[in-house]
Amino acid sequence: MTDLRELLTAIVEGNAVRAKELVQAALDEHVPPEDLVSRWMIPAMTEVGARFERQEYFVPEMLVSARAMQAGLALLKPLLAQRAVRPVATVVIGTVRGDLHDVGKNLVAMMLEGAGFQVVDLGVDVPAARFVQAVREHQAEILGISSLLTTTMPQMDAVVRALVEAGLRERVKVLVGGAPVTDRFAAGIGADGYGENATAAVRIARNVLGLTEGR
Amino acid sequence: MNSRERLLTAIDHREPDRVPFDLGSTQVTGIHVLAYQGLREHIGLPPAEPRICDAIQQLVLPDQDLVERFDVDVRGLFPLNSHNWRIVNADVGDAWEYTDEWGITHRRPKPDGLYYSIVRSPLEGAALTLDDVRSYGWPNTGDPRRIAGLQEQAMEYRAQGKAVMIKGVLAGILEMAQRVRGAEDFLADMAANEVLACAILDKMLELKLTFWEMALPRLAGVIDVVSEADDYGTQTSQLISPRMFRNLLKPRLKILFDRIRQLAPTARLFFHSCGNVRPLLPDFIELGVDILNPVHIRAGGMEPSGLKRDFGGEIAFWGGGVDTQEVLPFGTPQQVKDDVKRNIESLAPGGGFVFSTVHNIQADAPPRNIVAMWEAVWEFGGYARP
Repeated sequence: MTDLRELLTAIVEGNAVRAKELVQAALDEHVPPEDLVSRWMIPAMTEVGARFERQEYFVPEMLVSARAMQAGLALLKPLLAQRAVRPVATVVIGTVRGDLHDVGKNLVAMMLEGAGFQVVDLGVDVPAARFVQAVREHQAEILGISSLLTTTMPQMDAVVRALVEAGLRERVKVLVGGAPVTDRFAAGIGADGYGENATAAVRIARNVLGLTEGR
Repeated sequence: MNSRERLLTAIDHREPDRVPFDLGSTQVTGIHVLAYQGLREHIGLPPAEPRICDAIQQLVLPDQDLVERFDVDVRGLFPLNSHNWRIVNADVGDAWEYTDEWGITHRRPKPDGLYYSIVRSPLEGAALTLDDVRSYGWPNTGDPRRIAGLQEQAMEYRAQGKAVMIKGVLAGILEMAQRVRGAEDFLADMAANEVLACAILDKMLELKLTFWEMALPRLAGVIDVVSEADDYGTQTSQLISPRMFRNLLKPRLKILFDRIRQLAPTARLFFHSCGNVRPLLPDFIELGVDILNPVHIRAGGMEPSGLKRDFGGEIAFWGGGVDTQEVLPFGTPQQVKDDVKRNIESLAPGGGFVFSTVHNIQADAPPRNIVAMWEAVWEFGGYARP
């Protein structure tokens, strides 16, 4: 029997090769994929987030953990889809038009995936209309908008207004992030939340959906 | 007291007649072309063909009439590099793109993108080996054409009584490593493949040394400040742990800074790192950094009076004059003046302060705010004489 505590350790320590091996071994032993995710992999990423908040982990350590999680998840995704396992929620995420920065946004996407969300990543330089279209198409519960530049922050406002015009604003929670963004700015454009880093983003995503810790 | 004396007095932690003022002498204390053109018009200067000194950030070299009007104390030398040399723009439909001498592809979105950002890095991907790093076609940073004419330019500036500073031809060791490898891949290497990460860092160090060893023997006698840079801070914390900084970056910075000091013993060393670098300041000081920039006062831990209190005796601050993330672009002229006054009061006492904005003035800074900033520097930047 595979000791699945090792899977948790492999992800926390950022060992993608080992994480993948352990997931495969567990699948061979008929461990249900949803158990692997909910009992071992999500708790591993929760621990990674806790270490980041305690400043034991910084971006490099968090990245390799997220990559280890994704290596395991790649094996599981088709199986989860087959078994119609529902994600915690669906998040559409992207960087606004005119802005090509994506390291922070990618980290947020990976941490959300690590927390059990389904993430639809639209990439960078995304026009407001494409955000709206993706929210509608994927019936997203959350829209995450990123901007690293003061000069592209006004685009976030444009996205929120486009959601209102499309009649979707009440159906989706809007979260914003990026270096120059603040709580005050988020409130000013009528967003539902702001996270100052990737772990805060996960916490706020859960909060705005009314999810309690540990689900 | 001329500009050069003013600057050197301040950097040496003594009070000059007034706080020295920098605009545009580096690619981190500059101004975006749109803000620059708006400013010229606002203060009644005739339109001028912009001289771009950094294509990626779309920064201009301020013209003589403007630097005179604003009494800028420093002049910058801009060696030829991937930001200002051999830029061949291609129209790729929804953007402009160019691939630089490093093999990095930069893209500026149409119709109104304000900057270029990296979209492809030559060494990205899981398959990269040490041999790939060694055998890659690296640019020749020791090519003397990179500094053609700079000695004469520096002598002219000095004859005008201005202080002169020079920057290198590649971004910081960590930043450049991220550019050639891809930011995510390189940061992951640092945690998971240290041997590969170190090979890339060593290559960046080597390319920096090659440039300075070519440039400084020719220029050391005519420059006052040597500028180096990297980026270790984020808005709230640090990109990499202080421990990782000390293991992987600090030893390489020591080699770099020691060599620069050997080659230009009278020049002051200016070091730029954005974000919250407070935990690293003792390391910078130990490495012999004379000047910190951009003094990112809005980042966590970087509150200016605390910085001055704890480190002001040992490092000079060049920057931190006005916040560029909120106050300068979005504030009122009065809020700009208040911010300038507060920052001068925090950072200027006893010298050790050169006024510049926190990083470059971006396209969204209204000209009236830039003028308010400058007026406030004059209003509050004088040192009272007994």
